Amino acid sequence: MSQFSSRWPFLQLGVGLAAALLATAMVSCATHAPSKPAAEQKLTGQDLYAINCGRCHPERYATERTAGQWKTIMLHMQVRANLPPDQAKAVLKYLQEDSGR
Amino acid sequence: MMTRSLILEAAAAVCILAVILPQPAAAEVSDDEFKALKEAVQQLTQQQQELLKQHAEDQKQRAEDRQKIQKLEEQLSAASKAQPSGEAVTGEQFNSLKSAVDKLSQQVAAPPSGPFALQDFMIVGDAETQFAKVQGQHGGFALFDFAPIFLLRASDKVLFEAGFDINLVDNPQDNNTPGASTSLTLSFAQLDYLLNQYATLVSGYMLLPLGTYAERNAGWLNKFPDDPFVRDFILPGAGAGAQVRGAVPLDASGQTLAYAAYVVDGPSSSVSTGAPAGSLDLTGNVGITNNGKFANLHASPSAGGRVGWFLPWKGHDHYDLELGVSGQDGVWNNANNESWAAAVGDAALHLGPYFEAKGEYVNTWAETSDLGHIYPHGWWAQLGYKLAGLDLDLPLINDVELVSRYDEIRDGLGMRTERYSFGYVYYLTNTLHFIGDYEIINGNSQAVIPSANQLIFQLTYGF
Repeated sequence: MSQFSSRWPFLQLGVGLAAALLATAMVSCATHAPSKPAAEQKLTGQDLYAINCGRCHPERYATERTAGQWKTIMLHMQVRANLPPDQAKAVLKYLQEDSGR
Repeated sequence: MMTRSLILEAAAAVCILAVILPQPAAAEVSDDEFKALKEAVQQLTQQQQELLKQHAEDQKQRAEDRQKIQKLEEQLSAASKAQPSGEAVTGEQFNSLKSAVDKLSQQVAAPPSGPFALQDFMIVGDAETQFAKVQGQHGGFALFDFAPIFLLRASDKVLFEAGFDINLVDNPQDNNTPGASTSLTLSFAQLDYLLNQYATLVSGYMLLPLGTYAERNAGWLNKFPDDPFVRDFILPGAGAGAQVRGAVPLDASGQTLAYAAYVVDGPSSSVSTGAPAGSLDLTGNVGITNNGKFANLHASPSAGGRVGWFLPWKGHDHYDLELGVSGQDGVWNNANNESWAAAVGDAALHLGPYFEAKGEYVNTWAETSDLGHIYPHGWWAQLGYKLAGLDLDLPLINDVELVSRYDEIRDGLGMRTERYSFGYVYYLTNTLHFIGDYEIINGNSQAVIPSANQLIFQLTYGF
């Protein structure tokens, strides 16, 4: 217990922060009342590409890779960047539409 | 009598034929062969269904393309008719429509030749070359780095990925170790298996989700030529073990909640005589045991995880906030059950496509056999602003991003070092960047981190 007690306040803080994050996310989700019909608000693959990929790196052009290569890269990025599968699929479809041959 | 004789003769003939003629093929097939054949048929059936599905999707896509062409042709026709009545169609509009029609026609004329292959192998990664001028020393080309990542997609749900770091470090300024040294290190090698919509199983030598830096610091992504001190000295970047991770979309705006939970072998001691301060080896649970052999030093794995919340707003205009907390806890020496733990808070903010702020706070705890508890900790924060946001009509300016970073580390043994970095990123292309920074370093431990200011330039390419 002695070895544990020294970092106990920080563990409490960490768990508290994690819980706060979860709560904030839930509240934010609940308070984001849709002002438009859901169908109009649905993000396209292009939107999701800009939102998720642009966070970490400059834009990679769809023509840089073949459709098959984009499939592999998006599988890699889905894991690395924690993308929900449906969003990853939408981004993949967007990239494959104009992919190189 | 005659009839009975004929029957007997016929029966005899049947018996002879039964002996002479080869046995039916079915009688020679073993159960294993039958099962193999059955599995082959099932596989072929499945492949046929997949092909039919893909074909249906292709047909659907082509039908949509034809509709688009028809619509565009109608627009063209309407535009042509409208021209004499005074609603003139400009040459630019006409060319734009014609270009769109031509593009779609090409797509329909040359559809993909078949479904995408189930397997694919490719190499991505980055490469860097670096020039450094350290205060009081000669300047020179200091680092050449090639960091390929091998990706093998085995199926739609299985990916093997391995990253290597091959570099040459030149030491023109260090009299103690003149010349150059080369190294090849394995950054990570992991197998990813998509379990379902919300969980992916990762196993192998994994980049650890302690904060976000370890997973997002490839040379061409980092806007500085080096890592924050806390990343190089008090946190492990990777570990051998297994992990479950995933993300849950919270609404239609792209908001997500990400999680990761893992077990790894954890850190160990670099000496065979217990766990004195300074011997903590964050790179893995292999070291010198009491009998002088290299082996796993303890049997207790470490456990860790991260929870992250990502909130984008204003659609695709690059306004977003990401917050995360993560940690790891475990034993680093079995002899006296000394433990090591870490807690990391990370944050990143984008206000439009031009402004970025991000950072991490890292706190660690280590029990030692000579000094009791020590608390190495530190933090870093950086800002970036792309000058394209000023909308100046000047050459080169729109491809420049100005960056600054502050980072600080305390090793828990009295050493404290801080660094101010000011620099730029010049985007030659979207993947070729020329970056540079000036770093002002102040500290009280010349042996670990010399307090020598330095100027660094780096050319980096992501591929």
